Amino acid sequence: MTATTLEKREKTDLTRLFLTQRIPLLAVLIVIVVVTFFINDAGGYLTAPYDFDYMSAALITAVPLAMLGLAEMLVILSGRGGIDLSVGAIVSLAGMLFGFAYGEWGWPLWLAIIATAAFGALLGAVNGFLVSYIGFPALIATLATFYAYKSLAIVVNNQQPISTEPIQQLFSLSRSVELPIIGQYIPDVPLGIFTFLLPTVVAVWVLMARTAYGRRLYAIGTNDVAARWAGLPVRDTRFKAYVYAGLISGLVAVVTVAQFASARPDAGVSGNGMALPAITIAVLGGVAITGGIGRVAGVVLATLLIVWLNAGILLAFVGNEGSQYQLLALGTVLVFAALLNGLTNRKYGGS
Amino acid sequence: MTITATPPAKIKNLPSPVTGQEIVLIGVIAVLWAALAVSTPAFLTAGSLQPLLVATAPVALVGVGMTIVIITGGIDVSVGAAIMVCSVITAKTLVGSDVNLAVAVLISVLAGGALGLINGFLIAYGRVHAIIITFGTANLFMFLGLQIFGSGTVNGIPGTLGFFGRGEAGRTLGIPHAFLITALITAAVWWYLRHTAGGRHFFAIGGDAQAARLAGVRVQRRVLLAYLTTGVLVGLASCFVIAQGTSTLDQSVGSGKELAVIAAVVIGGTSIMGGRGSVLGTFLGALLVQTVASGVTQLGWRSQLSDLFVGIFIIVAVGADLLRARARRSR
Amino acid sequence: MAAETQIPRLRLTAVSKRFGAVRAIQHADLTVRAGQVHALVGENGAGKSTMIKIVAGAETADTGEIEWDGSPVRIGSTTDAIALGIATVYQEPQLFPELTVAENIFLGKELKKQGRVDWATQNTRVVELLELLGLPAGYATATVGDLSIAEQQQVSIAKALSGDAKVLILDEPSAILTDAEIEVLFDVVRRLTASGVSVIYISHRLDELFRIADEVTVMRDGRTIGTYPIGELSVRQIAHLMVGEELSDARPHREVPAGPAMLELRGLTRTGKFADVDVTVHQGEIVALYGLVGSGVSEIAACCYGIERATGGTLAIAGKPENPRNPEHAQRLGVALLPANRKVEGMFGFQSLAFNISAGHLRLLSKLGVFVDRAREKAVALDLIKRLAVRTPHERQPISAMSGGNAQKVVLARQLVERPKVLILAEPTQGVDVGAKEEIHRLITELAEEGTAVLVVTSDLPEALRIADRIQVVRGGTTTEEFGPDAKQVDLLAAAAGGSE
Repeated sequence: MTATTLEKREKTDLTRLFLTQRIPLLAVLIVIVVVTFFINDAGGYLTAPYDFDYMSAALITAVPLAMLGLAEMLVILSGRGGIDLSVGAIVSLAGMLFGFAYGEWGWPLWLAIIATAAFGALLGAVNGFLVSYIGFPALIATLATFYAYKSLAIVVNNQQPISTEPIQQLFSLSRSVELPIIGQYIPDVPLGIFTFLLPTVVAVWVLMARTAYGRRLYAIGTNDVAARWAGLPVRDTRFKAYVYAGLISGLVAVVTVAQFASARPDAGVSGNGMALPAITIAVLGGVAITGGIGRVAGVVLATLLIVWLNAGILLAFVGNEGSQYQLLALGTVLVFAALLNGLTNRKYGGS
Repeated sequence: MTITATPPAKIKNLPSPVTGQEIVLIGVIAVLWAALAVSTPAFLTAGSLQPLLVATAPVALVGVGMTIVIITGGIDVSVGAAIMVCSVITAKTLVGSDVNLAVAVLISVLAGGALGLINGFLIAYGRVHAIIITFGTANLFMFLGLQIFGSGTVNGIPGTLGFFGRGEAGRTLGIPHAFLITALITAAVWWYLRHTAGGRHFFAIGGDAQAARLAGVRVQRRVLLAYLTTGVLVGLASCFVIAQGTSTLDQSVGSGKELAVIAAVVIGGTSIMGGRGSVLGTFLGALLVQTVASGVTQLGWRSQLSDLFVGIFIIVAVGADLLRARARRSR
Repeated sequence: MAAETQIPRLRLTAVSKRFGAVRAIQHADLTVRAGQVHALVGENGAGKSTMIKIVAGAETADTGEIEWDGSPVRIGSTTDAIALGIATVYQEPQLFPELTVAENIFLGKELKKQGRVDWATQNTRVVELLELLGLPAGYATATVGDLSIAEQQQVSIAKALSGDAKVLILDEPSAILTDAEIEVLFDVVRRLTASGVSVIYISHRLDELFRIADEVTVMRDGRTIGTYPIGELSVRQIAHLMVGEELSDARPHREVPAGPAMLELRGLTRTGKFADVDVTVHQGEIVALYGLVGSGVSEIAACCYGIERATGGTLAIAGKPENPRNPEHAQRLGVALLPANRKVEGMFGFQSLAFNISAGHLRLLSKLGVFVDRAREKAVALDLIKRLAVRTPHERQPISAMSGGNAQKVVLARQLVERPKVLILAEPTQGVDVGAKEEIHRLITELAEEGTAVLVVTSDLPEALRIADRIQVVRGGTTTEEFGPDAKQVDLLAAAAGGSE
């Protein structure tokens, strides 16, 4: 039996690689997207040039998206229907705290950032407690806290945004800078990439790929029961995943305040909110909704794909049309990613 | 619970038609209404209650479909976007041509049904997670809706749908039509889920889809039907939404409604894990949420505080259920 | 007896079934008479379940004949079996917890009246069934999730009978029941036979056969050894038929060093599961805890490992009284456990072999307790892979892609990363091929030689005899007799399955 299956496996190796390994697939898609827009650009079909400068400037939208995508990855990985609908509301509420601390109470910036991140972690801890220690389904617990946090964020300052002088000056954090040494050869890069996104990506990568905690998180997401029998602290591990997700959301709150130059009470929940795009990015990045599977690189590549795709779409259409076609692209990509996951699970996922 | 010890003297054909959670909800709503009546004398007047009932209707109506979906173990987070699509199609039709009420409703319901069919087909036959696929279709529906919107708003919608609205045309004997229709549909679906084989099969699927299939339940067809029903009800609810608004429809219509609907379903005692739930509970859940929203405004508090209460209600309702389940397990 | 003259309800003659190269059953015969309880016994792997599946239509026989009321029939599918009137109740109740008893019984075949479910008629039928089973009529509309396991099993029986069953197969119905619940089950079985239903009753508990069965068919190595009226046999005789002529086991006698007691249970009790359990395992010793499913053995093991907590008695590890709070705590105390259900409790399916081995030992394999020392992890994994002779191309192979024997070795390897003082092995060779079984047994002996105290919890009799220095029999939730390595299978089986009278 093994001989024939092995043979069959080798034959379909390449197909299998692209179907089961999300990272090469995403890399190929990114290349296709970028090349397509370059060609369109060369043909003069775009309203503005799609070049490296433009792609680099577009990265500013990648900062909150990728960070929250990673936050979702952590909780979805933890298994048992893990998901966090409240990240956007945490961004709103923690952003208001940051607004007060830095914009009104005159705290030093570093302290305000730490306080905001810690507050985000606390809000995440509420989710983690409900899910891991009380046993709420994650969807329910985070739906409830979504409502509660969203409400508090709006009520806490009478619906008013905070945009005092220090907050307005934070906008400089969103500017693009020239990198030292190699900077003259490549386009300027948004500062937020270095101050927030890269540290978060590296930290989450180290956490997941190098630390004992990461191993435990993969373990409980893969098989909750076996993790218990192996002597792993299952509840504590799952709890922390929500705390980390809250912490990252707190950092995103700072980024968002800087981007808007204002602490807006509805920053993370207006329109579609921030949670749904973040979950989309995580799923697209190959994070299995059933837990235990998912890598940082996948989430980062999924973000780049969506960001550069969206940036190109904006240039391909005039006016509002662009932002609408972004929805089409996102929806299509997500439906196909889900169908692909379903297909690969059936074909290659064992039982 | 101790059936062995005290077998009931007379055999009822079915368990109690009203669950404990529903009785509690009725109690909570009654207490709230009483408290509001005492603190704001204006509350128990037609001028205050009628808008409350009208506003309850769309969420409760979509909630009926969502309850069936969640009973089968699924979820549909695309209903907000679907409301937008149905609303804009119907509003544009009303503006562009001189259709009557029935045709307008038919168009909206057909549109909703088509969207529900897309979800249902993908979920029943694509074997993918409902939450992911409906996140995806939510984006697609939103694209569709915005495309139909064109740029900006739909203006000058005629009062054709006034039958469902807040005004005089929307009431009979003081009862708003939208509320009455929602109550009737809730009752009909409640009866269907409780008394027909097809209805019971939804519960079996949510309990264990594989075992249900082996017992002869046509699982895929049932799942498809659940999402289709939700779509159809979204279509009707969209008519209510247009009727309740002004003559202008803007692009934010339906935004965030999916979470409001899921909140009503969950507060109503339907288990998000599937297999258990009741549309009556959902109806009461929607009424409770709307009561709180209306009460908060009437008390002169910040209206956004009502969301905080919604969050607390969800925690309390589901928390109580978890404790019950725990008690049952340790028996 | 009158039964001798009447045409049997069901007769299987010279039935054989192969799975690939494995002969599951060969030339097996089974004759079931109307209104009788026919017991089917045999050790694990004797072919009982294949036999049952053939009767229930879940498998088709390769050769042989089946007669129903004297005329030949073909049972090609479960539908065929149900059409004949053969119903099966499996061990785990397959019910919908949120639906009522009546709904569960009629799911997929609801009685309808004008499009709606005819609750009244349905309930009347259910109440009839419940009365036949001696259950209160109020059960009909009770929600199944509110019932106890025993009650749920009765509902399963009612469900099986709802299709006018003439032959009811009960697959180890007593394994999950308490003594009082077994009494209720027996009442139910007696009522059924009184109404003419035949029951095929599979059980490991030989003593209970004498209280319920009319005839017994013994299987061994895929063959039916014979069918006997129950009155002609004793527990010991049945046990003897099951194990057959004992081959003199060629196991060389091991010199057991007289080390200190590493695991000591004194009067250990967990209310409702087991009581007054006394077991001692010394350093370097292999003790087998042998008991049937439901005897409480697995719960005893779970208590030693902190999965469940004892409610009475004492548990000492390396001479110190302890009560492990959870597996983590147990591991720190020096106890490791190989879980019985490999797929559910042991394996991290799609994760690599190294991942599976290092799980639970990350503190040891980390620098500063935070960062996984991957070089060390790999070294440890490769070392154990070599030592346990795990056949794999590399340590990054996902465990789900491995054979049962190899996967079991990997899960076992996990228990050996931090050399435990006490190693508990629950069904160490279940679902493992012969070669791997041999290797795992050799390994267990090696570990003991190196000074580990080993407790093997098993329902595999030859295994217990083959590797253990002492065998402690557990029956009815308590330790009963102790045997040495020279004990006979038949004695052990008789002790575990129903009194050595």
